[in-house]
Amino acid sequence: MLRYIARRLLIALPTILLVSVLVFALQQLLPGDPVLTMAGEERDPQVLAFLREKYRLDDPIPVQYFAWLTQVIQGNLGISLRTDIPVLKLILTKLPVTIELAIFAMIIALAIGIPAGIISAVKKGKAIDYATNVVALSGLSIPNFWLGILLIMLVSVQWQLLPASGFVPPSEDLWLNIKTMIMPSFVLGTGLAASLMRHTRSAMLGVLRSDYIRTARAKGLLAPVVIWKHALRNALMPIITLATLLFGELLAGAVLTEQIFTIPGFGKLVVDAVFNRDYAVVQGVVLCTAVGFIFMNLLADVLYVLVNPRLRHAR
Amino acid sequence: MINEAALRSRETDQAVAPRPSPEPLLRVENLSIRFDGAPKGVNVVDDVSFSLAKGKTLCIVGESGCGKSVTALSLMGLLPTPPARIVQGAAYFEGKDLFGLTERERADVRGNRTAMIFQEPMTSLNPAFTVGDQIAEGIMRHRKVSKAEAWERALEMLRRVRIPAPEKRLKAYPHEMSGGMRQRVMIAMALANDPQLLIADEPTTALDVTIQAQIISLIRRLQEESGMSMILITHDLGVVAEVADEVAVMYAGRVVESGSVEAIFEDPQHPYTIGLMGSVPSLGRRQGRLATIRGSVPPAELMPKGCRFAPRCPFAEARCATEPPPLVDVTSGHQARCWYAPLEQHRGAVL
Repeated sequence: MLRYIARRLLIALPTILLVSVLVFALQQLLPGDPVLTMAGEERDPQVLAFLREKYRLDDPIPVQYFAWLTQVIQGNLGISLRTDIPVLKLILTKLPVTIELAIFAMIIALAIGIPAGIISAVKKGKAIDYATNVVALSGLSIPNFWLGILLIMLVSVQWQLLPASGFVPPSEDLWLNIKTMIMPSFVLGTGLAASLMRHTRSAMLGVLRSDYIRTARAKGLLAPVVIWKHALRNALMPIITLATLLFGELLAGAVLTEQIFTIPGFGKLVVDAVFNRDYAVVQGVVLCTAVGFIFMNLLADVLYVLVNPRLRHAR
Repeated sequence: MINEAALRSRETDQAVAPRPSPEPLLRVENLSIRFDGAPKGVNVVDDVSFSLAKGKTLCIVGESGCGKSVTALSLMGLLPTPPARIVQGAAYFEGKDLFGLTERERADVRGNRTAMIFQEPMTSLNPAFTVGDQIAEGIMRHRKVSKAEAWERALEMLRRVRIPAPEKRLKAYPHEMSGGMRQRVMIAMALANDPQLLIADEPTTALDVTIQAQIISLIRRLQEESGMSMILITHDLGVVAEVADEVAVMYAGRVVESGSVEAIFEDPQHPYTIGLMGSVPSLGRRQGRLATIRGSVPPAELMPKGCRFAPRCPFAEARCATEPPPLVDVTSGHQARCWYAPLEQHRGAVL
């Protein structure tokens, strides 16, 4: 297993390098001159030249790339052009918030999506199947920001049950931290639950038709064992694929949801950085997100092997 | 032969006198099954009756789509309903009507008193679990045994089906085994709880010819060891001749002929059976061979009102297409569903 993971990691390296090239190239293509942004109203050519010199913006592009890459590998993602705070530090303060939100949202999505998908597959064509499908479709169609605003109005303003917005680190007040996380993770989670439910349903429908399900029933096994042991285990592959992808997306930041609940997460960092042409931050965030995605893919690969013994020979 | 005679006389007793006689292990009476959406009156299994004594083997033969598997699955309670629907009939197994049981009671019988093996060993085992796990879970479902005891029993079953290195195989996954080995695992799984009735639905069709013979002789030996009864669904007449006590020939959902294996092979009565044998009707001089049966089973919408075999029958006359032939007793225990049966009395008509 460890060898398998090591090999997967090795395969991931070129991908990460390619991403780094893209990240670097993209920022070269972005319109606007960072030096002009930094200098503000001051357009003194001497100041501009000094800044260009300082940030080595006049070097040939490949030289700039390797200089940048060397720094990145050493853990230096540069300094925010806007705030003068090291990018790594910025990311490290925002990332835990987003990770917490993503984990909560994923738990909610899995807890709703998988059982709902299984039930609607098992009861295919019955009332409950249609009901879950209608709910799922609504879940897919209702925009996050609308549901978020609605929840704030109802739960926070009307009933005064949960704080409307803001974020409290768990180290400060764990209970308050959880309370502030409930609504945003619910908003994010229900949206994802809908697509998880649809995929679980179709995967289960396929599996339930298989010969080995008939064999399991021929043994006299009762429906819960047939469904939760024999069928679900084989339906998990597409669910894992989707869930890890969705989790990767969550890590990239839920811009709208974070905005509504004023959560200082990754999404907000990205938006601010893009608006301010804070290239170093954009680069750092994109790189971080890409690595996050690659890591989620690796996790999916590992889970596949755990779930599907047929893949173990591919080690 | 002696057993046959004994069996036949027992059945005659039952028909003639109400005197108590040994109840067969399985008695299927007038079973009709229809699929939702099929034209009115066209049942996929139509008025099928047969019985099976303890320790005996019944072979159900017929071409694909004739209702053999549907009959078998309905006996196991594995038929998806809907679309399938049992419109009439009963199946008495060990004295209980299987169709009258609750779903839970049927599940208690399944894999315990009755067991089934299937045509496709490659896809019939769950790819995600080890062979040992899949055998042991069936044992634990029906017996109050610990996990260790169940695995011990699973190991014993792998030995009984002659799988080499059974200790190692217990922890193997299905994909690590060949088709023949997987079918042996299926057999081990089916027999783990000592069922009284084994239903084998074309268990060798998907296997190599050399493996087929091995599997059949394995099943045969295990049956002798345990004394269970067996329904073997097949279209391999060589296998039928080898293992059957009784034979039921099905065509388009109906049993067209049934009887002892000797009667069916030596004196086939129904043109379809004769066609299956590829033999000449035993009527006077040689009239030419029925090497093949022309055409194919009619689709449900075109099913004739009378004899369902009429459109393909070389002997069909006007009456055959409109009036369903009755089940005729050719000899005691040998029945055929044909206007010409018994053939000897109708040689004029045929010629």
